[in-house]
Amino acid sequence: MMTRRLPRLSQMLLFLALCAFAAAMLTPVVWSLLTSIKQPIDAFAIPPKWIFTPTLDFHRAVWVDKGFAGFLFNSVVISVCTVCLSVSIGTMAAYGLSRMRGNAARGILIGLLTMRMFPHMLLVIPFFMLAKFLNLIDTYPAMVLALVAINQPFTIWLMHSFFADVPTEIDEAGAIDGANEWQTFYRLVLPIVRPGLWVTALFSLLLAYNEFLFALVLTGPHTKTLPVAIAEYGGEDLNYWSLSAAAAIGIMLPIVAFMMFLQRHLVRGLALGAVK
Amino acid sequence: MTVSVTNEKTPCGASSVLRGEKQDLSAGAAGDIPPRNTSAPVVRRPRPRGRKLWLFLLPSGIVSLFILVYPLAYALYLSLFSYYLDTGASHFVGLGNYVDLLGDTRFWSSLERTVLIVGSSVALEFGVGLAVAYGLYRLTFGVRTLNLLMFLPHIITPVVAALFLKWIFAPRWGLLSSLLIAAGIFPPDFLGDPIWARVVVVLADAWQFTPFIVLVLYAGLNTVDQSQIEAAQLDGAGGLQILFRIMLPSIRPLIVFVLAMRIMDAFRYFDTIYVLTSGGPGTATETITMYTYSLAFRLFQIGKASALGVLTLLIVLALTAILIFVFGRNKETS
Repeated sequence: MMTRRLPRLSQMLLFLALCAFAAAMLTPVVWSLLTSIKQPIDAFAIPPKWIFTPTLDFHRAVWVDKGFAGFLFNSVVISVCTVCLSVSIGTMAAYGLSRMRGNAARGILIGLLTMRMFPHMLLVIPFFMLAKFLNLIDTYPAMVLALVAINQPFTIWLMHSFFADVPTEIDEAGAIDGANEWQTFYRLVLPIVRPGLWVTALFSLLLAYNEFLFALVLTGPHTKTLPVAIAEYGGEDLNYWSLSAAAAIGIMLPIVAFMMFLQRHLVRGLALGAVK
Repeated sequence: MTVSVTNEKTPCGASSVLRGEKQDLSAGAAGDIPPRNTSAPVVRRPRPRGRKLWLFLLPSGIVSLFILVYPLAYALYLSLFSYYLDTGASHFVGLGNYVDLLGDTRFWSSLERTVLIVGSSVALEFGVGLAVAYGLYRLTFGVRTLNLLMFLPHIITPVVAALFLKWIFAPRWGLLSSLLIAAGIFPPDFLGDPIWARVVVVLADAWQFTPFIVLVLYAGLNTVDQSQIEAAQLDGAGGLQILFRIMLPSIRPLIVFVLAMRIMDAFRYFDTIYVLTSGGPGTATETITMYTYSLAFRLFQIGKASALGVLTLLIVLALTAILIFVFGRNKETS
């Protein structure tokens, strides 16, 4: 590994350059964080102030007084239901596909990958029409089903990549011991991929939590999720800047925790299309 | 029993399928295992696997039929009608919507804008992403922390990310504007000027997706065969030469895969533009996705919007196919 070594000075310079890049990338986040804990008089100072007396008033106000706690509740209900439904059926399908021989499984997997290409706009229009006919606009089921639909291909692919790592000898050993297909799956193989199951569940949760287009079209006053609420609150009115900055930072916090937890698995999950 | 769930082995399983590699979907089929005791007549018959496996696909299959296949078919059906949501007026027009769209200048200019925005942002992301990934590859300490820190913009809720950027570029009170004012420069209206608005939209995309490119390319660079690099070094190749002549060609399938992903995403790029400019000023940042949204939910022309969705899909399919055939296949022939 001597080959990758640079002289110590170059290493330091490289490190500093990359730190500068990371700092630049984080500037918008830090700036919003500062805005959310500034009094308006500091927030709108020119030149921008970096030193001030912080306040948490806006954080309290937006979650308690402005009803963001309710939107958080909607987001949690919708995301959790989506994950339960999508991951349970997706995991079974992924197991089936990983154990099937021949071209059928490969065909289905490629078909699912093609689904990832589908513009969401193409799906949101019929979903809106169907929800309208069935009087399901502004209900949890409409939103959950829509999210399951866009989650399925991703869930199956990710779980499939975990199942493919488990040797089929395990299944055969189970079969020899007289386990039926379901027992083999549930008692033998599933416990082995449990870490992968958690990873998949968390990625699906993130996908549901971040979703905007479907939520914008399918939810209403009763089921509005956090992204729709914050987008409506927007950055239009100066009086609301501190409040919406506080909400935006609050929405981001669970995601930071999530990232710490999943950092080892980011490549696999993201390459298969998590998040966006 | 330990199972490797690290990402080194397959940075993305999807890419190998895309390149048409034989995926190990049926690893270790029962028949391949040699009997342990060859002297004894073995009557153990290999269990015909795959008998009831389709049952596992059933729940997902049924649900997908109702919420994925049926809605898509319905969209296709809707695209054949002139359907106004507000008045409820609807009549069959066949391919009329498609013909309409192909003669619609707003469609062509939104497509042109999409290509322009996607092209610039992917070029920017790729250039910066490659430089940063290579930097991380050469760095011997702090890589993990740096990677994690710069990754944040990619993973936060897109709407929130767009708002963060809005507070940078907002006129007068935004960070950039107020810094410029403090320095005595009169700032342009970043979100209100047609050219600047496009620049901001490109920067916003780059801000969110460069970390993704960095992560994938960094993982890819680490899979390159070390002995090849050492051999090149013995022959006197410099660092950049090694990067461009050896490392990049060997992760080429990964690069094609990432580009394909970005093209697909680009035609779904909605949240950020909706929050930042909402397609404005005028139609300066109206991409094909924004145009579809406007057609469906502002002008209520459901039929025409569905037709535009179908056209978008065809465009994405064509672009991806071209990308994979042109760049993905060369490797085998040359």
